[in-house]
Amino acid sequence: MLRRTSLKLLTALAGSLLVPFGALADMAATIDKPVTITFYNYNLASASAGADATKELIAGFEKKFPNVKVEPIAVPSNEIMSRVQADIVAGRQPDVAQLVFRDLIYLATDLGANALEDMVKPAELKDHLAGMIPNGLELGKVDGKTYGLAYTFSTPIMFYNADLFRQAGLDPDQPPKTWADVAAAAKAINEKTGKNGFFPGAYGPADGTFVYQSIVMSNGGKVRDGNKLTFADSNAAEAVKMLHDMVVSGAHAKIDPASASDTFAGGNMGMFLYTSALLSSLKKSAAGKFDLRLAAMPSFGSKPTAPTNSGSALFVFSKDPLKQRASYELLKYLTSREAYTIITSKIGYLPLRLDIVDDPNYLGGWVKENPMFRANLEQLNRLTANMAFPGANYRQVEKMMMDAVREAVFGNGDPIAVLKTAQEQAQDLMP
Amino acid sequence: MTIENPASSPEPSSMTAPGLVRRLAVHAMMILLSVLSIFPIYWMIVTSLRPANEIFSTALWPASPTLENYAFVLTRIPMLQMLLNTAVVAAFTAGLQVVTGMLAAYALVRWRMRLSGVVHGLIALSWLVPFQVTMIPNYVLASQLGLLDTLTGLIIPNAAHAFAVLMLYHGMRSFPSEILEAARIDGARSWKILWQIVVPNMGAPIASLSIIAFISAWNEYFWPLLLSRKPENSVVQIGLQMFMTQEGNLWGPLMAAACLASLPILVVYLVLQRHVIESFMKSGIR
Repeated sequence: MLRRTSLKLLTALAGSLLVPFGALADMAATIDKPVTITFYNYNLASASAGADATKELIAGFEKKFPNVKVEPIAVPSNEIMSRVQADIVAGRQPDVAQLVFRDLIYLATDLGANALEDMVKPAELKDHLAGMIPNGLELGKVDGKTYGLAYTFSTPIMFYNADLFRQAGLDPDQPPKTWADVAAAAKAINEKTGKNGFFPGAYGPADGTFVYQSIVMSNGGKVRDGNKLTFADSNAAEAVKMLHDMVVSGAHAKIDPASASDTFAGGNMGMFLYTSALLSSLKKSAAGKFDLRLAAMPSFGSKPTAPTNSGSALFVFSKDPLKQRASYELLKYLTSREAYTIITSKIGYLPLRLDIVDDPNYLGGWVKENPMFRANLEQLNRLTANMAFPGANYRQVEKMMMDAVREAVFGNGDPIAVLKTAQEQAQDLMP
Repeated sequence: MTIENPASSPEPSSMTAPGLVRRLAVHAMMILLSVLSIFPIYWMIVTSLRPANEIFSTALWPASPTLENYAFVLTRIPMLQMLLNTAVVAAFTAGLQVVTGMLAAYALVRWRMRLSGVVHGLIALSWLVPFQVTMIPNYVLASQLGLLDTLTGLIIPNAAHAFAVLMLYHGMRSFPSEILEAARIDGARSWKILWQIVVPNMGAPIASLSIIAFISAWNEYFWPLLLSRKPENSVVQIGLQMFMTQEGNLWGPLMAAACLASLPILVVYLVLQRHVIESFMKSGIR
């Protein structure tokens, strides 16, 4: 509530105080004199492996570009957008920022993020983007232009407790492939072990909408079509109804969504669908306690899954030509083969470049030692962009949708009617 | 601390059976409430001693207690620097709130001014303005003054507070006016009266305010979150947040950091227990 109030205030202030974003000046061809750029980063505001990896990346960049000094601004992920807005209002233009995908359209249309196509010469941009997964490049695009370059991101992956599978008489070497399999396995776990069967990290508070959207899109649904909301339409609503039915049958746990990862880490849940970024912390919790395994996200029958992305992209805000060049070089470095080797092996996010996966000079050795990560890598082929909402009310629309999803899944009413009511109300807030 | 009314407490020898039962029931209830109050602190300490794979265990004591979470906290974030920063910010904030509150309260109580009631009312109303309303203008001003990422920037916006003014205002109103008049007749001016006569005799409200302002500043989260740009220039509440990450919450280190962050306040409670309880009882819990 407080955060929403702050965001509204910031939006109003930003709208009234921002200078108009004119055409970009030509980015400098080289960095021929010392320059300092700011890098707003949420990994640095944590004590996790992400902070160490980011420090290593920045040090590597500064070594490669001795003329560039990177001033890191560490802000927690749930506050970084507010900080970027506050600094723009205060006249402190950020240069590079690591921001989440839900804010993508607002960043492009209202906060003046630079489109790479407007900033970088086509040949140079093409050269850097070569070798990146095309679907991955789509993640940060608005109206065909790249405002955010995918950086630390992942897709939903099924973590499962093989010990609970065995106790329930299930074969842990044959993890569920479809939602029908998940429902049956989860029900068996719940009935035979008394533990929770299944829970997706799809209902907040920290996951945004990416797991929910992955489920919906895997059933052929979408949360919006242009400016028309569609999260209550047939395929999207049926996916939510399926989750509701699992709750009714006892297969889907009825727990506080904020405690889902801890419930799984404590060995009290059979299956947990969430980002692979949790892998390292779950491995530590499971060590010596239970047999932790990974599987691909389940599908609706024979329909191919559509895993959408969690995580962040890199945005450039610099207006000064020299700072633009330094910022772009930082973007290039942070999305290089070397950088993705560090990001994947030390944090657990996915590489945007698949050619490094089996290359012994990059991720080859690590992937061999961590074969369970393959399930996540294989999903990259079907990577589908998470849909952000447009307009000034985008966060309210998203919240209304997620509130309705929670009510539809866990409530006693008709899930489709709940979604339809919310969709009609939220539509008024769309542009 | 027990509060007994000697007039109503029967002598043990003369206590009737129903009286004894009632007294036992009261004590049982108090023991239960004490356990409920202390248990979260106990659980915080125990969790801080658990290794990563025992974090979710419900055993009352870890099978293999370890200090590795404390080592993690002290090596991964600048915890000691953050504790020092927090102590400096809390001490200066509390001190400045006492000084500014004292000056404002003296002016409101002792000087007959037109509209003093309105001024008093406006100060009281300013207490109701949520921080979120003023934080962006404050942030822009702090940025223009070059106070971003500084301890000074954390202290100055909280150097005066309506609560401090109102608390000291009420304390000062009950100060005997005869003493002040006598001092005035002896030739003392307001400055001397305030600091040499009033302040030394207002120990209780000043102590109460200092304790409450210190604890409040120690627990401050939003303003440091907005103002700080580097962990080493930030405060301990931001440090705690650093263990709640996108890659999972680090409960063991978080509880170890929470123990370290609680220690100074715990010391304040132990040393000034009576004052702290009286402060909260007199002023209401903020």
